[in-house]
Parts: sequence; C-alpha cells; structure tokens
Amino acid sequence: MTHTLHRSGRPDSLRGDFVVFTMSAKQVNAQGSAEKMRRFIEIVEKHGPVNCGDMKTGNVLNIGRDEIFDNVRDTSIVHFVFTDLTQVTEVLQELKEADLGTSVVVSGLVDEIGRACREVGLEMHTLEFSGGIHGRIERLPAQPVLAVTTMCGHGMVARGLVRSLAAKVKRGKLSLSQAALELARPCQCGVFNPRRAEELIQEVIDSEA
Amino acid sequence: MLIDREACTGCGLCLAYCPMEAIVRHRKDRAAGTRAWAEIDRDECVECGVCLRSGVCPESAIREEELAWPRILRRAFSDPLFVHQGTDVPGRGTEEMKTNDVTGRFREGFIGLGLEFGRPGLGTRLSEPEKAIKRLVGLGIELEPHNPLTQLIEDKSTGRLKPEVRGEKVLSAIVECIVPLERAQDVLAEVREIAREVDTVFSLDLIGKVGGGGEIPLLEEIEKAGLTRSANGKVNVGLGRPRFSAAGEGRGR
Repeated sequence: MTHTLHRSGRPDSLRGDFVVFTMSAKQVNAQGSAEKMRRFIEIVEKHGPVNCGDMKTGNVLNIGRDEIFDNVRDTSIVHFVFTDLTQVTEVLQELKEADLGTSVVVSGLVDEIGRACREVGLEMHTLEFSGGIHGRIERLPAQPVLAVTTMCGHGMVARGLVRSLAAKVKRGKLSLSQAALELARPCQCGVFNPRRAEELIQEVIDSEA
Repeated sequence: MLIDREACTGCGLCLAYCPMEAIVRHRKDRAAGTRAWAEIDRDECVECGVCLRSGVCPESAIREEELAWPRILRRAFSDPLFVHQGTDVPGRGTEEMKTNDVTGRFREGFIGLGLEFGRPGLGTRLSEPEKAIKRLVGLGIELEPHNPLTQLIEDKSTGRLKPEVRGEKVLSAIVECIVPLERAQDVLAEVREIAREVDTVFSLDLIGKVGGGGEIPLLEEIEKAGLTRSANGKVNVGLGRPRFSAAGEGRGR
C-alpha cells in the first residue's frame, strides 16, 4: 500500500517531513534480506529520526527500538521519519556506500528528494504522486486535521483523536509534545511525524479559536 | 471488535480513538436501571483494532472477536498488521513501486494507477471500489492480479465482486492497474466518471518510471488530464539489487 503517499498539507509544512524506508521484493531478493534490513536500521538510526517502525511488528513508541530490531524478518518494511533534507541526504549517501541491495524509497517533496539524490550521485528510478482526493470530499475533515490524520496512510489516526487532544492542549491538560506522541502511537508503521504534528495541532487550536 | 458490557464503565475514553467513529456511548438510565456503557456499532466497525491496541480502556473491556468469512475481510483491509495471503505484504495493496527497481513492475511506456477507496479516513463498503473495477474492466484494462481486492472478483468479464463481500466495510481498498501511455487519457477520463459515481472518497495514486534520460512521461499525462499532482510523493531511489533490466523483454509489466 502507498502508506506514505497522500500526506496532506502546505509545502512549507511538508518541507520538514520525510520518510525513508526499505523493503525486499518477495519474488526477487527477499530471501536472506533480514540481515540487510538490520544493517539498514543501524545506518539510518544514527541520523536523528523522529519516529520509526516496522510494518510487521509496530512502532518505536509502542514497542521500543530493540524489539523492532530483533523481530526484523525478510519481508519486513522498516521506516524512519526525518524532519530535515540534510539528514535524508546523509542517509542516502551512507546507504549508497553500504549497497545493501534492498529497495529504498524516500517520501517527501519530490524536488527536494531529487536534489538529495543528485548530491550523492543517485538517480531517481520510479516516482509516485498523489493525484488528489476524489468523490465525496465534502465529508472530509478540514485542514489541518486532515494534515495530521494523513500522516498515517493506513488511517489509524482518528480525526476525533486529533480534535480531542487539541482540546486538551488548549485547556492546558497536555503539552503539544505529549499530544503529538499520543497521536503517533496508533500508526503501527512508525511513519507518523510527531514533530510536524506539534505544529499542526497548534494550527487546529488556532483554527477553532 | 466488541466491548464487554459488563466490564465497561462507560467512561468514554475509547470513543476518540476509533477512526470510523463507530463507538457510541449510552448514558446511565435510572428508569431502565442501566448504567453508562459504550458499544461498538458492528455495521460501522472495520475491525482495524485501533481501539484495543490503544490500551486506553482502564477496564480492559475491549475485545477482539474470532471473525468468519466474509467479516474477516474487514480486518484484512483495515488492520495493517494483517498479512494478506498471496501478497505476503502487510497492508492493503502490493509492493507496487516500492520494489520497482528490482521487479520491473512499472516500465517505460506505462503508468501505474491506484484508486484507494475510503482513504483518507472515511472507509468504504466494498461495493464502492466494485464500481471502479467494473468501469476499468469495461475499458479492457487488466487489474493487478496480486492485489487482494482483485482476488474478490467473481466474474472477470464484468468485474462483479462476490455478492457476500459487497456490503463489508473496510478502512480502505485499492484498485490497482497498469496502463500503456497511449491509453492513459482514456483511463484518467474514466476516473473522473468514477468520482461522480461513488459514495465515498478515493485517493488517486499515479506511478511512473523515470526515463533513461531523466524524463518523466507521467507528468505530461497528468497535465494533459487536467489533474493536479502533489508536490510531495514517493521516490524509489534505485538501490535495489539485482537491478531489473527490461532488455530482451517485450512485456509491459
């Protein structure tokens, strides 16, 4: 599934939102790839991600880094979230040198990712864009609630939870950081960006003021 | 999912966590002699498991049920930890472009399309993507055979789904296909018709391989169709090995 596509929001907000992940191809190079994925984790985690997870086992907030690492399998999909293109560029440089052989995908502003690729001598192979939301769009929540919920492509982050936690922040019951981390928990893959969520929760509060 | 009425105290903490807003709270009724409690609307519940995994219930009153066919499809299309038999991929789709550098699934001269019904956040009955499947089959477009939704088609000549699955509600279900560039505009025009017909939302995925000279034919097709594409997207950076080579192969997939 395209679980890191369709992240909604303004370009200036998306500028601090990148996901880097790796995956093996079941029919081609999956066999024996778990070790490569563990090496992927060791490389990428050094560069300051704000979230991570494996689609097979869960996210770092719920189960911790070691459980993710220890449970990596050949068919795992391991994700890391970054807030800065410089970090992504450094990650790509190191992954290129490591030449692990599992496929690597970066989600984010495509022009920026293209720039990072050029800087480290990689060429973009395949692209995927969102062609928008169609159908009964009048039923969707307003931005910025949608910008928060779409950071989990599997739809695990409820709009009601965004509003509820924003209300608690407004009443002084929670900090922005606490609310953002609570929103990140349901996203099993660990692709939710809690740092960006802090800004978006503030926007939710401001929009409902 | 269900809530054990005896254990539930009706605190309501679980309500906000449900992506489908399918949990309802019943107030204490002195006349009837009932206390406050929360209930999951089984028709609206997609079996995603978020309520249970949230750990928010102080009484551990939220329970997972053993699900039978066809209700098990709700979990298969809604809980990302559920792995589809056949694809071995957790989630609702396939490897799509994520491994295209080694599989060659999307090649030059073709674009990939995905219509993700119910996304973002509204959910869908499986009868909604069926509308798209029927239209695409009517155009002679072959659907991705490994997609879990494709496997629910009863009649390949019409795209009709198995009747017992049509009413099942799921968080999202993806209709996936690969289209030759020369047919892209026909199919994208059909996508507009599908948008008018459906009773939910769908997010449109557009996939294209970058050409040998760095050109991106997909962008031209998007522009011709009058679609607006996102500034953000996904990039396969070509680090997979062994690298797929289309040399000597005439197939487009």
